[in-house]
Amino acid sequence: MKKKILSLMVSLSMILLLVACGSNATSSVSSDTSGSSETFELALVTDLGTIDDKSFNQGAWEGLKKYAEENGISYKYYQPQEASTNSYVETIELAIEGGAKLVVCPGFLFEEPVYLVQDSHPDVRFILLDGTPHNAEYTDFKTGSNVMPILYQEDQAGFLAGYAAVKDGNTKLGFLGGMAVPAVVRFGFGYVQGAEAAAEELGISDLEVMYNYTGGFNATPEAQSMAASWYNNGTEVIFGCGGSVGNSVMSAADAKNKQDGNFVAKVIGVDVDQYSESESVITSAVKMLANSVYSGVTDFYRGNFKGGNVTTFDIRNDGVGIAMEHAKFNTFSMADYNQVYSALMNGQWTIFNDTEETNPALALASKLTNVKVNYID
Amino acid sequence: MNILYFLIQQMMLFMIPLLITALGGMFSERSGIVNIALEGIMCMGAFISILFLHFTEAIIPGNTRLILACLIAVTTGIIFSIFHAIASINLRADQTISGTALNMFAPAFAIFVARVIQGTQQVNFANDFLIVEVPFLSKIPLIGDMFFKNAYITTYIGILILIISSIVLYKTRFGLRLRACGEHPQAADAAGINVHKMQYLGVIISGALGGLGGLVFVVPTSTNFNATVAGYGFLALAVLIFGQWKPKYIFLASLFFGFMKAISSSYSGIPILMDLKIPNYIYKMIPYIATLVVLIFTSKNSSAPRASGIPFDKGKR
Repeated sequence: MKKKILSLMVSLSMILLLVACGSNATSSVSSDTSGSSETFELALVTDLGTIDDKSFNQGAWEGLKKYAEENGISYKYYQPQEASTNSYVETIELAIEGGAKLVVCPGFLFEEPVYLVQDSHPDVRFILLDGTPHNAEYTDFKTGSNVMPILYQEDQAGFLAGYAAVKDGNTKLGFLGGMAVPAVVRFGFGYVQGAEAAAEELGISDLEVMYNYTGGFNATPEAQSMAASWYNNGTEVIFGCGGSVGNSVMSAADAKNKQDGNFVAKVIGVDVDQYSESESVITSAVKMLANSVYSGVTDFYRGNFKGGNVTTFDIRNDGVGIAMEHAKFNTFSMADYNQVYSALMNGQWTIFNDTEETNPALALASKLTNVKVNYID
Repeated sequence: MNILYFLIQQMMLFMIPLLITALGGMFSERSGIVNIALEGIMCMGAFISILFLHFTEAIIPGNTRLILACLIAVTTGIIFSIFHAIASINLRADQTISGTALNMFAPAFAIFVARVIQGTQQVNFANDFLIVEVPFLSKIPLIGDMFFKNAYITTYIGILILIISSIVLYKTRFGLRLRACGEHPQAADAAGINVHKMQYLGVIISGALGGLGGLVFVVPTSTNFNATVAGYGFLALAVLIFGQWKPKYIFLASLFFGFMKAISSSYSGIPILMDLKIPNYIYKMIPYIATLVVLIFTSKNSSAPRASGIPFDKGKR
């Protein structure tokens, strides 16, 4: 009897705990709406994180919100119950029932959900960030005329980051990527080639780049230790490119800086401006999510929605770049940045970005003369 | 020499969480309760204490805050492990299943609560706990450079726990009773020991140390906590087995694991090792292969507590 009461109490307390938290969560989700009408023309369905995740959701939401507020259009975001294709599809349909004419889906996890809903809702438009629609088995790739997939040229952002790092006086660089997925590889290849371009201009012939993919997107002691060993061996700046891997790099850099008492270990962040996460972040290679969503929504209301084909955002349409607002360079100035930006736009360099071979020491062998890549398997 | 010091300092980051957590597991198993929930307990301890670090950033300075966080991690671990204790001691449930349940529950809980509280799942914290030089002690030649520079206070806490654990387990009445419960609870019961109480204490100690291990794991390796301890709870179980459930050998096992982990992840920054051209995989494999080999040779006379994993039944003989 005692046992039964005990187990009952344990299970009750757990249920109460969950219910208490749960009610809190739902109220915060449904609160962000605007306008008094019951329908919302512009909708965003969030990815894994929440709307203020400092990454994909937030970036896309800012772009959508900006256009909607400028033009007095009703807008709303919807948060799926869980991270599964079914749940995403349900949430997209909920948004459509709520009157959405355009649904923004941030992140490659929406590739399959969008593939499924593009045919059943031909009159609704979709903007898909960082992916193209396909079925679950990766056998059928189809982009309906009502879908606008947006991809980014990460290699250009990486290029600018590498170029700026070398121009700023660093000669020993590092790249610590997450999984070797195409986006990460493109960032890395651009980074190496940017370093090469700057080294050629400055006449530096012995530039070194340590290069590794950790194989995951977690912060681990392994990633921290690898970054720490590079800093210890003289590496000055490491591009932490892969979710939480960057946080391990920052941790190693912070420790090194505290140890040496001056600013010797530097970090380049990724995707969004990560200056707030650590003192050691000098800049970030960013994708301008807000810009691309804003431009997609603008096209939709002007009546020339670019559906059916992939739209690539690069430096020509302010899609990628490095964050200069909070940058901590020694000499590399905004003027220098504008100069390299326009030179890259005018085609002074062609960046190799085929990600078939992920090892830059092999893939870029013919292009690198001044840079030596130490690829760690 | 600089490289050796660096390696030892890095080794501590791997070794200390493994050591603390494995010692925790030892107390539980020595009392007869298998605790594979260490991963979940680490996760939970890290989550609540990092949340504390996050919210007290501007209020409490440096290492005082870390020590308070340690206490919170310990408390969280204890509370969380009590679930395992109730299920496996009072309800005599399968200990593997209740442990697995805790492992699955902890990261989900961490993500959920973090999102409810602050909207994002990562909990940021500022790591200002590194002690660059310990006063006086860092001046000792060799040893000072190895152990008293660029260290975290948690390293010394870990060593302290090791010493206390061996004393408690072998030199106190409580230790003897605990070990008796893990070997033959019926005999212990007949001798007048309250087996349930002993087993509760065993699990609670493992929760305390597991929770602490989680915090010690996260603090030096990241600037935020993202609801995972990357499998180190399970690795601590491997250390526990490799260490044959004895503090002395657990220490050596965690030293070995820590050293191999440190080499495999930092050899690329060490020119001498880089020149050897040994693939990364070899370094990564060695600790696990060594565990297998040790298990093969010791399986005949393994010193695992006899009654570990078997629910205590008074009527059984």
